[in-house]
Amino acid sequence: MTTEAKPRALNRLKSMYALRAEVDKMYEGGAEASEEGKPVAWVMLEGWSNAILNAMGVKTVFPENYSSLCAAQGVATPFLDRSEAEGYPTHLCGYARTCIGYSSRMVELDGDIPPEAPAGGMPKPTLLVASGEVCDARFKWFQSLGRFFDAPVWTLESPSPGLRERLTEGAHERNVHFLINELKAFVAFLEKLLGKKMDWDALEYTGGGTNEINRWRWEINELRKAHPGPMNTRDFWSAVTAALFRGAANPDVIAEGFHKMYDEVQERVDNGIAGISLPEKYRLSFEGLPPWHSLGFLEQLAERGWNFVIESAYRPPRPVTVDLSKYSDPMERYVRRRYRSLENSLEEDYGSEEAGMIIDEILCDGTSRRMGLKHIRDYQVDGVVLHVLLTCRSTSAGLNLLQHRLLDILKVPSLVIEGDIIDVSAFNPTEALRNAEAFEETMEHYRKVRKELGMPW
Amino acid sequence: MAEPSKGLLRAQEIYQDRSHRAIELREQGKKIMGYLCIYPVLEMMTALDIVPYRILGDMREPITRADSYMPAVNCPFLRSCLDLGLKGKYSFLDGIVTTHICDVGSSLSGIWNYTVRTPFSHHIDTPHTLHETSLQQEKGLLQDYRKALENFTGQKMTTEKLKEAIRVHNEQRVLVRGLYELKKQDPPLISGVETIQVIKAIQSLPVDEGNELIREVISEVKERSDGPPHKSARLLVWGSILDDTAFMEMIEGLDANVVMDDTCVGSRAYFDDVELTDDPLDGLSRHYLMDIKCPRTFRTRDYNDVRKDYMTDLGVRFSYLRDYARDWKADGVILESVRYCDTHGYDVPSVRDYLDSIGIPSIYLEHDYTEGALAPFRTRVQGFLEIIG
Repeated sequence: MTTEAKPRALNRLKSMYALRAEVDKMYEGGAEASEEGKPVAWVMLEGWSNAILNAMGVKTVFPENYSSLCAAQGVATPFLDRSEAEGYPTHLCGYARTCIGYSSRMVELDGDIPPEAPAGGMPKPTLLVASGEVCDARFKWFQSLGRFFDAPVWTLESPSPGLRERLTEGAHERNVHFLINELKAFVAFLEKLLGKKMDWDALEYTGGGTNEINRWRWEINELRKAHPGPMNTRDFWSAVTAALFRGAANPDVIAEGFHKMYDEVQERVDNGIAGISLPEKYRLSFEGLPPWHSLGFLEQLAERGWNFVIESAYRPPRPVTVDLSKYSDPMERYVRRRYRSLENSLEEDYGSEEAGMIIDEILCDGTSRRMGLKHIRDYQVDGVVLHVLLTCRSTSAGLNLLQHRLLDILKVPSLVIEGDIIDVSAFNPTEALRNAEAFEETMEHYRKVRKELGMPW
Repeated sequence: MAEPSKGLLRAQEIYQDRSHRAIELREQGKKIMGYLCIYPVLEMMTALDIVPYRILGDMREPITRADSYMPAVNCPFLRSCLDLGLKGKYSFLDGIVTTHICDVGSSLSGIWNYTVRTPFSHHIDTPHTLHETSLQQEKGLLQDYRKALENFTGQKMTTEKLKEAIRVHNEQRVLVRGLYELKKQDPPLISGVETIQVIKAIQSLPVDEGNELIREVISEVKERSDGPPHKSARLLVWGSILDDTAFMEMIEGLDANVVMDDTCVGSRAYFDDVELTDDPLDGLSRHYLMDIKCPRTFRTRDYNDVRKDYMTDLGVRFSYLRDYARDWKADGVILESVRYCDTHGYDVPSVRDYLDSIGIPSIYLEHDYTEGALAPFRTRVQGFLEIIG
C-alpha cells in the first residue's frame, strides 16, 4: 500500500528559491575571502554600512541572519548553551547569544570555523560593524565579542528621534548631516584599517543597487493587496534575506531575482492564485520577527485557510525619486537618496489629507493613533498575529499597545503568540494552534462589527 | 508646632512619600517635570524654574495595568513606572522628559504619550557613542530641548540662567560626593540603605532643597553615634536601577556593609561635574553623553584606533570600579541587574573579566524587581561573603 504525500497548504513561489540561494553564496564568499586573506566584516543589518564596505572590497557577513540560519537548521541550541556558560543572561537577544556561542566555539578551535556550522560558517572577522539603530543588542553584542576576537568595532550611529522631535524645525537637516558626518568618519576609519582609499564611484553603484532592489520589493508588496493574497509571508521571510544581507551578490543579480518574483506574483494575481493552496478563509498580518526555528507552523495555519498576506518587519519603503543634482558630495548623495523627512514620508505614504491629520496628532500628543496601521487597512486584514519575543525588547515592547489600537481604530483583533526568534523552547506550537482555532471566532465576530460600521472589509 | 524633621529622618520621610513636596510645590504654581533615567538634562529644567522629578517604579506594588500595554518580557522597572502612571500616581506631573536610554525606555515614551498623556513631553535621542559627530548631535538635540522647554514655559532660557543652574547642580554633585566620602571609614558612617533613601529623596526635590537636605544629612552623620556597625566585608554594588532599599537591606542584613555603589539611584549621576563652558550647552552635552558611565553608551579606548586589545578596552570601560574599590576599600563586588535589562546584561561577563584581572571577587544577581524574589539571594550572598572572607 502506498501513502500519498499530503499536498502542501502553502503555495510557494518558485522565484523565491533562487533568492534564498544567494544567501548561501554570501557565506561561501565570506569563507573564500577569508581563506584568500581578504578582509571580512561581521555587520549588523542597517541601511548604510553594507554598500560602503562592499565598495571598499570588504566581504560582509551578517550574524543576525546567520543566527536565524542556525535556528532554521536546528543547530542553534548548543551555541545558546555555550553563551549561557560564558555568563551571558538568557534573556539577551537570541541572535546575539547564538553568535556569542559561535564565537566562543571559534576560540576553542583557534579561530577556525566550527565544523558543525551550517552553510560553511562565518570566518573570523577582520572588523565588526555595530549599529546604534533599532536596538541596544546591535552594539552591546559586538562590544561583547571583544572577549573572543581582537577585531576593532565601529558602532555606526544613526538618528532615532521621537515622532514630535522629528518635526522640530531644523531637526531633519541636522539628522541628515549627522548621518553624512558619521558615515564619513566610518570611511576614514576603514581607509586607515584597510590602507586604501574609498572608491566613491563604486559607492554610487552599490548604494544605487539597494534602491532598485527595494523598488521591486515595494512593487511586489503592492501586488499582495490582491484577493486572494498571492504571496504568503513564508515566501517573504525566505526571500527577504537576499535583499537585506546581500554581502556576496552583485546588487543587479538580487534586483533581477526580485523582478522575477514580481512577474510570478503578477501572474498569480492575474489568475486569482493564492499564496495558500486552500481557499483563503482569513487574511492576516504577522507583526514582529518570525520564529525562524518553526516557520513550518505557518503551514499548519495555512491548512486552516489562514493566509498571511503582509507582515510588519522589513517592509520596503515606498520608492521615491530624489533630485540629487544639487548635491555633489558623494556621501551626501548617498544619504539623501534614502533618508527622508517624516513629513515627506507621511505625505508619500498616506496622501496629503491623512498625513496632515497624523502630523496634527503628533504635534498635539507626541504620538499618533492612525500611524502604523495603514498596511492593516490596505491589505484588508481580518486578524493580526503579534509575536511577542522572549529575547527581543525592541520588537516586543510596543505590541500590546498595537493590540489596543488595532481593535479601537480598525476593529481588527489580534492574537498574541509568545515565542522567540531562536530559542525553540520558548515556543509552544500546540498551545499556539489551540489559541489560533479559538481566534477564528473572534475574527468572524469583528468581520460583522466592521460590516455594521460600514468599513470596507 | 513641631519642628520639621531634618537630615536622615527627613530623607526617610521623603523616601516613603516622595511626591508630597512636589504636589505641594505644584499647588504653589511650580511646574513639575517627570524624567526617566539620569540622562534628561536637569539643569535646563532648573534654569526655567521647573522642578525635576524622577519617575521611579514601586517594586512593592504589583504591576496590574501596565501588562495591558507592554508585554511582560520587558524591564519590570519600566513596566512598574508605566503601571504607576496608568494608576494616576504621576498625575501631578506637568510633563515628562525621556531620552534614548534603552530600547524599552524609548518605547515607553511613546506608550506613555498614548496612554498616560502627561500634558508636555519631550524625547532626547541621545546618541550611543563618543564619536565627535555624536557630541555635535547631542548639542543639537539639547538646542531643540531648550526650545521645547521655552515654548512650554513661555520663558527664555538665558545663558546666565543656565550657568547658574549648572552651578547649583554641580554643587549637588559635590555634596553627594561628600556624602560618599563618609562611607570610606570603617565602619561607614552611612549605610547603603540610608544612601538610597537620601539619593531618592534629592531626586524628588528641587535642586536647592536637595542640596540643603544633603548638607543636613552630612552634618548629622558626621556627628552620629548610631551609625552602621562594623561588618566583616565591605562591598561595592554595580548594576541597574535599585530604587528601593530592599536589596541593600538584604545585603546589609548579613555580615557586610555596602560602602560604594555604581547604580543610578546612587553615585552614577554625581561623580563628574559639568564643565562651565562659554556656551553652556557644550559642557552639558559633553557631560551627559560622555561623563556618565552607564552601559547604554558604547565606550572604547579610541574609536579611531584600528587596533583592538580586550584588556586595554576593559580598563578604559571599567577602571573607575578599580578606583572605587581601592578608595572605599571594597573586598568584593555584587553585580546586580533587573531581568530584561539588556544593556547591563551584556556587560556582566566583561565587568567580571575586568574584576578578575585585578583580583577583586564578584557575584552576579539577576532579579525581577519584586521584594519577594530577593529572599533566595540571601543564601548566595552569604556564600559569597564566606568566599571573600
